[in-house]
Amino acid sequence: MSIATTANAPPQAFPSALSAVLRPLKGLRIVLPFAMVVAIWWAIKWHWALDDRVLASPAQVAIAALQLGNRGILADYAATSLRMMGIAALISALIGVPLGFAIGANRVVARALEGTLRFLQGISGVAWLPLAIIWFGFSDTTKLTVVIYTLVVPIIVNTIVGVRAIPENYVLALQSLGASRLRIMWDVYLPGALPSIVVGLRLGMGYGWRALIAAEMLVRRGGLGDLIFGARTFSQIDRIMVGMVLIGTLYIIVDRLLVQPIETMTLARWGVLRK
Amino acid sequence: MSGAVDKIEVAGFRHFFQSESGPVQATSIIDLRIQAGEFVTLVGPSGCGKTTLLKAIAGFIKPSEGRIFCNGRPVTGPGRDRGVVFQELAILPWRTVRRNIGHGLDIAGTKPAERDRIVARLIDLVGLRGFEDRYPHELSGGMRQRVAVARTWAADPDVILMDEPFAAVDAMTRLTLQEELARLCATTNKTVFFITHGVEEAVFLGDRVLVMTRRPGRIKAEIAVPRRTPGGRDWESFTADPEMQAICEQVLRLVREERGATLVAGDGASVVPAA
Ligand SMILES: Nc1ncnc2c1ncn2[C@@H]1O[C@H](COP(=O)(O)OP(=O)(O)OP(=O)(O)O)[C@@H](O)[C@H]1O
Ligand SMILES: [Mg+2]
Repeated sequence: MSIATTANAPPQAFPSALSAVLRPLKGLRIVLPFAMVVAIWWAIKWHWALDDRVLASPAQVAIAALQLGNRGILADYAATSLRMMGIAALISALIGVPLGFAIGANRVVARALEGTLRFLQGISGVAWLPLAIIWFGFSDTTKLTVVIYTLVVPIIVNTIVGVRAIPENYVLALQSLGASRLRIMWDVYLPGALPSIVVGLRLGMGYGWRALIAAEMLVRRGGLGDLIFGARTFSQIDRIMVGMVLIGTLYIIVDRLLVQPIETMTLARWGVLRK
Repeated sequence: MSGAVDKIEVAGFRHFFQSESGPVQATSIIDLRIQAGEFVTLVGPSGCGKTTLLKAIAGFIKPSEGRIFCNGRPVTGPGRDRGVVFQELAILPWRTVRRNIGHGLDIAGTKPAERDRIVARLIDLVGLRGFEDRYPHELSGGMRQRVAVARTWAADPDVILMDEPFAAVDAMTRLTLQEELARLCATTNKTVFFITHGVEEAVFLGDRVLVMTRRPGRIKAEIAVPRRTPGGRDWESFTADPEMQAICEQVLRLVREERGATLVAGDGASVVPAA
């Protein structure tokens, strides 16, 4: 008891005074590493006096970003990528979640398919590009196929994990209350597996975004992958790097501002409740 | 009543589980009849097949041999005529107390007003007023178990099957829950089949106490418990009653014969047969 109180008291006193000072620094803590990357980038450029055709300086990239941004080109390419990602995420969830339930609801089936799913996970979405291009040409369908494939496997796997983790008693109890299969699906499996499904979705979005950029580089027809690969033809280093920075930035924005809040929300709402 | 068919009839039940190393016999042949309004308790050593018998009556497992009837009709699967309160917790963590207790009524399509009335009455009965909108993780173990009991009661099944419902609850809370259950049964006149490890609990609650042998278990003894004050069962008068204490001792002796026998092989014998 006495140990607990003495251990608890001081942290109470310190942060109240310190945190007021430290709070603005929190933003800095995230920005600082980025600033250091830029600084290193700049230092490399200066130290070896690299030609602009090899590496653009951060300033040049910023200028190129402003120019492209002003003409609406960046927004156009970025919108194409984001739209693809959105469509792919939606379709993947619509396919992956029911499939995951169907597989996860049966232990034997889940065990039997474990190896196959792992095998498919091993073949990255990008490895499907050659086949997809042969089947669907250089089209949006090809991109979607690759990205949906990339997204859907982690969603299926995590849905299965979520379903398998639901205590059998929950299901038996509802059966004894006269619940139909559909009712049990809706009242037990879906809420029970939700936190895991969201984790799968978030993982999938990460893989899917990378796969999309790769697919855009090969298929072209818009998107940030197209932007940077197109810029290569004319050795527009600054453009390439603008695109790269934007790819990373958009990923952070989508992940942190959209997917992670959903995950935190479901985990807080359901995850803690499951314990 | 009027000499009608038994609520529950178990005829020539015997069960084997399939395991990696071949079939495991969970029970010997069991015959059992439970009349309407009767409170039957079952005690026996760990692993003797109590839960197996209960699960078969609930319709969760198909008997390897023998037949089970509820109200004269063969049991083919779980149904809302047989409510179950589980050994481990089985209320849904993502539903509030109110929504858990009303779950069976929701499934049955009871009108919301009627459902709320029944739920409110049960919340009072199990002493959870003021906790209606809490989630299970915000409750104590005893309170959660009361939610589970109330959920089963609210669905108004013909028969209530309880598998060591108070095993995970602290001793003091258990006494209260037992008294509450006795009162609840006296007021609603339910048919109850109740599994326990506690000899006193079995005698306190039961109109009839069944004792099982060690695995593969069969019912080796049956002790009727005369009940002089059906409404007002409490632990003070129970412990002060020499007749009740004599019955407790009798049951304890019967159980200990089995415990003694299992001690040689150890409780592990219920999993792997001793060489
Ligand atoms: N699903 C299963 N597969 C294989 N064996 C099982 C299974 N369920 C139970 N058994 C075995 O059947 C026997 C009876 O189990 P059961 O759960 O009915 O015992 P119990 O009397 O309820 O024990 P306890 O008092 O510890 O709850 C045990 O030996 C157990 O190991
Ligand atoms: Mg048991």
